[in-house]
Amino acid sequence: MAQSGEVDALARGDKGAWEAFVRRYAGLVVAAVRGVAREPAEVEDLAQEVFLRLCKDNFRLLRSYDPARAGISTWITIVARSTARDAMRRHRPVLMPIDAVPEGRLAVDPIEPAQKLKLPEALLSPRQREILTMLYDREMEVAEIAEALGIDPQTVRSAHHKAMVKLRAHFKANEE
Amino acid sequence: MSPSDQQREDLANWSPDRDLWRRSCQTDATADEAAHLLDLAGFAEGRLEPDESDRVAALLAGDPAATDDVAAARAIDGGVHLTPGVLDRIVARACAGLPDEIAARVVAFPAAPRRRILHGLAQWGSLAAAIAMASWLGFAMGSDTSRALSGPISSSETSLLPELFDPGSGFLRDLGEVLRT
Repeated sequence: MAQSGEVDALARGDKGAWEAFVRRYAGLVVAAVRGVAREPAEVEDLAQEVFLRLCKDNFRLLRSYDPARAGISTWITIVARSTARDAMRRHRPVLMPIDAVPEGRLAVDPIEPAQKLKLPEALLSPRQREILTMLYDREMEVAEIAEALGIDPQTVRSAHHKAMVKLRAHFKANEE
Repeated sequence: MSPSDQQREDLANWSPDRDLWRRSCQTDATADEAAHLLDLAGFAEGRLEPDESDRVAALLAGDPAATDDVAAARAIDGGVHLTPGVLDRIVARACAGLPDEIAARVVAFPAAPRRRILHGLAQWGSLAAAIAMASWLGFAMGSDTSRALSGPISSSETSLLPELFDPGSGFLRDLGEVLRT
């Protein structure tokens, strides 16, 4: 979680804490969104989108930050770029004659709608998926899998165990 | 424990796990944006466990935009220096989105129009007046009846009550009997 004292102060609606947070990370957010913006004039709008997203729903996204998993600068950069890209997709329509638009900007966006992932793809590593596929879909023995992958049978069991822990945790969390 | 025992135990234990695996293969992953952003940041810093790192790498293989984000996060160097004017503008715009600011801008629920109050007053007033009128009529009729039955009948009495009631029994007279006689 984000530094608890700071986030608590923000969640209490402490405007001073939020202002200090924005002042501290504005330069970082601007640097991150510049890499995504098409026009320099968009940068401030995109920076605002980033801060609005961080404080939305009582700082829900900011509260999800965990310093044990990543540094705050890296996380804010990722959040800023992701938010800026989403905002630009939403605000794409521009009213200008088609002849005035440079040809390069008429190109079809290479970003295609993301294909929906199945749970194993989102939760498990490729190795874990491979082991579970061999074990349950191809009905191979542990020893056969170990031999096919060139790993120890105990490693197969360990990977299986970790994968199951993740899947169980996911379904349990969704059923609660 | 022999290898065959181990295999039998594996098979016995893994049957529910097989069901779970098959179920997961039929389930669409729900987008947990917050967890995904943390995964990318952790990946950019090389802080993930090997399994997790492999998983995120596999996801990034199909997501060039996220791959760019990771590369940018690795290259970021403390951000840019903003002029005081730009910084103040960004702070002002960010503060405009604060939850308490939003709450302060909520338009108050409109008060009920005065006409509705007058309408309510008129309704309750007319009900009270109707009750008072009914009470007065009831009381007047009751006292009139009582006087007619108990007191001497004066010649100037114009009330029909003495003719309607029998003073002896206090019940209504049988008018048919009067007519017959």
